[in-house]
Amino acid sequence: MAFGDVGAALVAWFLYPGFLFLFACAWAFEWFDRLTIARSQARVGPPWFQPLADLIKLLAKEDLMPTGTKEVLAAGLPMLALASSLTAVLYVPIAGRAALSFEGDLIVVLFLLSLPALCYFLAGRVTGGVYSLLGGNRSLLQYFSYEVPFMIALSGPAILGGSWSIAQIAQHQDATGWGLLVQPLGFLLAIIGLIGKLKRDPLDIPKAKSEMVAGSLTEYSGRKLALWHLAMNVQAVVGVFLLVNAFMGGQSFHQPLLNGVGFALRSLLIVFALSGSSVLYARLRIDQLANLGWRVLAPLGLLQILVILGIGR
Amino acid sequence: MRRITIPIGPQHPLLKEPVSFLLDVEGEQVLDSVLRLGYVHRGIERLAQERSYVQIVHLVERVCGICSHVHTTTYCKAVESLMGLEVPERGVYLRALLCELERIHSHMLWLGVLAMNMGFDTVFMYAWRDREIVLDMMEDLSGGRVSHAVNVIGGVRIDLDEEQRKDMLARLAQLEQQVLRAKNVVEHERSLRARTEGIGILTPEQAKQYCVVGPVARASGLDMDLRRDMPHLPYSELDFEVITHDAGDVWARTLVRVLETVESVHLCRQILENLPDGPVSVRAKRRAPEGEAITRTEAPRGEVIYYVRGDGSESPARLKIRTPTLTTLITLPEQLRNVAVADVSVVLSGVDLCIACADR
Repeated sequence: MAFGDVGAALVAWFLYPGFLFLFACAWAFEWFDRLTIARSQARVGPPWFQPLADLIKLLAKEDLMPTGTKEVLAAGLPMLALASSLTAVLYVPIAGRAALSFEGDLIVVLFLLSLPALCYFLAGRVTGGVYSLLGGNRSLLQYFSYEVPFMIALSGPAILGGSWSIAQIAQHQDATGWGLLVQPLGFLLAIIGLIGKLKRDPLDIPKAKSEMVAGSLTEYSGRKLALWHLAMNVQAVVGVFLLVNAFMGGQSFHQPLLNGVGFALRSLLIVFALSGSSVLYARLRIDQLANLGWRVLAPLGLLQILVILGIGR
Repeated sequence: MRRITIPIGPQHPLLKEPVSFLLDVEGEQVLDSVLRLGYVHRGIERLAQERSYVQIVHLVERVCGICSHVHTTTYCKAVESLMGLEVPERGVYLRALLCELERIHSHMLWLGVLAMNMGFDTVFMYAWRDREIVLDMMEDLSGGRVSHAVNVIGGVRIDLDEEQRKDMLARLAQLEQQVLRAKNVVEHERSLRARTEGIGILTPEQAKQYCVVGPVARASGLDMDLRRDMPHLPYSELDFEVITHDAGDVWARTLVRVLETVESVHLCRQILENLPDGPVSVRAKRRAPEGEAITRTEAPRGEVIYYVRGDGSESPARLKIRTPTLTTLITLPEQLRNVAVADVSVVLSGVDLCIACADR
């Protein structure tokens, strides 16, 4: 392998679209999200470096686990969650360019985005404690409620684009305009699904503070907790990028810089939608979510697919 | 499915004060619960027997961290009736003014706590921001935001001048606007209603059986309020409505409390507008004669009862306090039966516990 290739691979691995870029995005999104929520709640909000400061603080904290916890498993789970999100981002085009792409990568990304949910559930199991256990169980229940509508919602753009490759779905929208315009319902479902996936307000049911203390992560502390937070934040980034590609078109300009700015703005728009739902609604009960998922969202998703098929003909 | 026991307390993010519930849970369903009390017992009643009547005013102010003024008011009234003192009308009005401000403060604090416990941080933030208005008013009036030390035996130690009175009326108008906004949210916000409606129901019969008082009883359709039922100054001269609701669930309690807050704002305004002239207190003796006195006051959470027995010395032979939280606490095992785990936080917040009051 030539030196140039190794260099390019290292850059891709560590800088763009690797760790550094993703972490920077994760922190930027988290800050934007917290600021938006704070401002809508008549608060000041954190300074821009707060997410990074939180991470550093957590890294420096003592790492304690209850006796009887399988340490390797407890430490491995957040790593696996982080790794799967980091892998998923390879297939998601950023500003029109994906690191890797093949027909069917949408399915792979959806799978990779589901892995953290499994890790979260297992984390509740391995660390013991009733809050962790119940939080873990709830996360699984929640998974079954949001995942189906989320998948249905994301198959809409795929059908419309005639491909199961995210890059091609995005490219297809260059010609037809944003998919959001044709399938607003699908976009809404995808947003709700993403909220459920990220366990954000108002679907933070598995980690509801007033009931489950912190859900699966109750017993986590220090470095492992920091890793969990990072994994969740990176998952948020991938989810947001995925929605931008699926519903808000791909490359709109022929200028890379303009493309980058446009992509960032569209991503922030989705983060804004997530923040908005946190501000506006009270947390749902798990049975209310299950009802919503299966009785309302899934049929609506199917309806959206029908509409798309009708347009396609 | 396996039955597990979930401990809520004595330390838990849900609770602001130490109390313990052991929930017997199967899946997401709470089957039964065990209540344990006494984590903040400070022996106040016993301590009172060692203190003089004047010192006890400051002692009972610390029974509760929210409705401190109601406790001193009730205590002072009991001692005054024991000593045969007549508090001047202006003093009575000023006492009532602080009682009403405290009710607003307590109800808004509670609305915030309920909202936070159901994951609705926005309502929490706004409720607590608007509560600052009333805290500032109390601070200007007495120097303290929560503990006011306003009552003395024989009256109050503060007075209002004309400028302060006008300033408070202006702030009340601002407060009313915010409270009406909160009322709008409670009445119409759908996710809030979805979480509170049909939860923690107490039927009127149950409420009667458990001797529930205050907003919880009124939300269960029991039309009781000492401010009206036991005519005394200044309430007998003021115009207000006793809010009741028939549903008996947490939503009804929320609505009753918010509407009561609006009524309290009106009451404050009437008190300020009809404030009589004259002195605010009379001089009290150090010793109370032999005898006993019972007084009752409508606190933010319901009826507070004080019993004082004097033996002719400087300190009482016995002081007994009964707080409204005690009655609601014993209804909780009933309310927590066959609810979802997620509703526990709503039920526990809905009754507005004051553990410090109950434990004393």
